[in-house]
Parts: sequence; C-alpha cells; structure tokens
Amino acid sequence: MKTLLTHLSIVLIILSGHAYAHDPSEHNEKKENPKCEKMKSMDHSKMNSDDPVMQAMMKKCMMEKSMMEKSMHHDENQSEAGPEEEPAEDKAEDEHADHQH
Amino acid sequence: MPSLSAFLKSLILLTVFAFIGGGLFLYSGFYPIGADTPHHPVTYWALETLRERSIARVAKNIDVPADLDSSDRLLAGGADYNDMCAGCHLKPGKLESDFTIGLYPSPPNLNLPEDEHAHSHGPSDSNTNAIKRQFWIIKHGIKASGMPAWGPTHSDERIWNMVAFLQRLPTLSKDQYQILTARGDVEGTHEH
Ligand code: HEC
Repeated sequence: MKTLLTHLSIVLIILSGHAYAHDPSEHNEKKENPKCEKMKSMDHSKMNSDDPVMQAMMKKCMMEKSMMEKSMHHDENQSEAGPEEEPAEDKAEDEHADHQH
Repeated sequence: MPSLSAFLKSLILLTVFAFIGGGLFLYSGFYPIGADTPHHPVTYWALETLRERSIARVAKNIDVPADLDSSDRLLAGGADYNDMCAGCHLKPGKLESDFTIGLYPSPPNLNLPEDEHAHSHGPSDSNTNAIKRQFWIIKHGIKASGMPAWGPTHSDERIWNMVAFLQRLPTLSKDQYQILTARGDVEGTHEH
C-alpha cells in the first residue's frame, strides 16, 4: 500500500509538472524574441552573405518565422484541447486509483 | 672555512625569521582582504605573471576546431553567452555592471577587441594562442577571481561555441547582438 501511494504520488507529481511545462505564459516570461524586423534597417552596404554573423542572423530569423507559424497552429490546437485537458488528468488519477483495488 | 659557515648560518637564520614573520603577518589579520582594496603593483604584477605563465603552459596543446567560424556555433554560443556571461563581461551598449565595478580583479569587457592587431584576417599564430587561452579560461576558470570554471557543467562543444562567439562579439552592433543571442521560440521547442 505504501509503495503504491509512493508510486501514485510520483506519477501525480510528474503529471503536474507536465501541466506546468505546457503553460504558455511561462514561455513568454523567460524568453526574449529576436527583433528580426531590425535587420531591415541595418546598413545593407556592409552586409555580406558570406559573413557567418549575417548567415547566423538569417538562420535565426528564418527559424523564428517558421516556429512562430508552427506555434500559432499549435496554440489553436491547444485552445481546442484546452477544456479537455483537466478531465484527462482526472482520468489518469482514476486509472491509478483503480490499480489500488 | 669559517666565513662560509657564518654565511650559511645567517642565511638559515634569515629564512627562519622570514617564515616566522610571514606566519605572524598571516595570523595578525593585518592583510586587507577586501575586494575594494587594490593589490600593491608588485603583487598585481606577480599574480598576473603567475596566471599568464600557467595558462600559456597548459593551453599550448589544445586543438582548436576547424569550423570555429560557423554560423551555428555563433547562434549556440551567443545565446549561452547572453545567459551566463553578459552580466560580468557586458554586451553592446552596456559599459558597466555591478560586477565590473565590484569584482576585483574586474571582469574584462569582452566587447572590446583584445588588441587591434588580433583582428587581422586569417588566424595568425598569436590569434590561435588567444583562442586557446580563452577556451582554457572558460573551461577551468581562474582561482580567487570571479571567473568560474564552466567545464564541470558544460561540454567542450558548448564552450567552443562561446569561444566562437567571442571572436565576433567586438564587431557586433546592439541589434545584431540581440538577434544572435535571443533564445526566442526556437530553443523552447528544442528543450521539451
Ligand atoms: C561572476 C562574474 C563572471 C562571470 C559570470 C563570467 N566571468 Fe569570465 N571573468 C571574470 C573575471 C573576474 C575575469 C578576470 C580574471 C582575472 O583577471 O584573473 C574573467 C576572465 C575571463 C576571460 C579572460 C579574459 C582575458 O582576455 O583576460 C574570458 C575569456 C572569460 N572570462 C570568459 C567568460 C565566459 C565565456 C563566461 C560565461 C560562460 C564568463 N567569463 C563568465 C568574471 C566572470
């Protein structure tokens, strides 16, 4: 019984951590987004596409763009799945409770 | 030969007194240990020479990766530099911090070119040595200074990425620095 409770609490702790990890507001707080719009106003006469700094900036901003597009879709999915998320977790709890019997 | 034995005798006596004197000074508490009291110029010179000789000896045999100039290294090293080093070593547009003012020895501003000649084109010999030196310092840190050893917690690759970034840091504008170092959404997705 004791070990079952331990397992149960470990599973619940992991699950709750999972829920936190998916909280989008946390992502926004910690991360600064590259200000790629500034690239347009940079001195183009000094830009050279062979320059690793230039290549790195373009890579970063291209990745950022595709990620933004992807995460926008992701957000849409999430908001649809949003209301279901909590019941899903309850179900997980129930399942584990079943194991106890 | 009485003169030689007299000489040896006084030499031994002198050494003994020097040790006793040193010990007394150590225990007396008269040494000013505060970071806001600079070293005597002779002490400073001795410590700096000790540091540079030590690093030159151990950094000599480090192999520098051939692709140090790659854009991927700049991106990875830039984000790490901004997170872990910019507080002490500054970034474009930031000329001082509590750390640069309060630490002794003070962390050097890594946005300044080390010396104007180090920026010649192509890796000259002295440039390669400077790169090895930086890698060693980042990996092992420097005793009794604020510079931590990052080796125990970071792979050599990650340290090389930061070394790569440091080579370009003095040439970056504020906006270029921001774009290269911002973690944005990209890293977040990799982390999970
Ligand atoms: C808490 C402050 C602090 C942090 C954080 C820090 N350093 Fe330092 N660093 C120092 C100090 C202080 C020195 C000078 C030590 C000395 O003079 O003996 C130094 C020296 C260096 C040097 C040698 C500079 C030179 O040319 O003499 C390099 C390179 C360096 N640090 C890189 C880094 C990197 C890369 C990071 C981040 C991973 C970092 N440091 C994080 C304080 C710091």
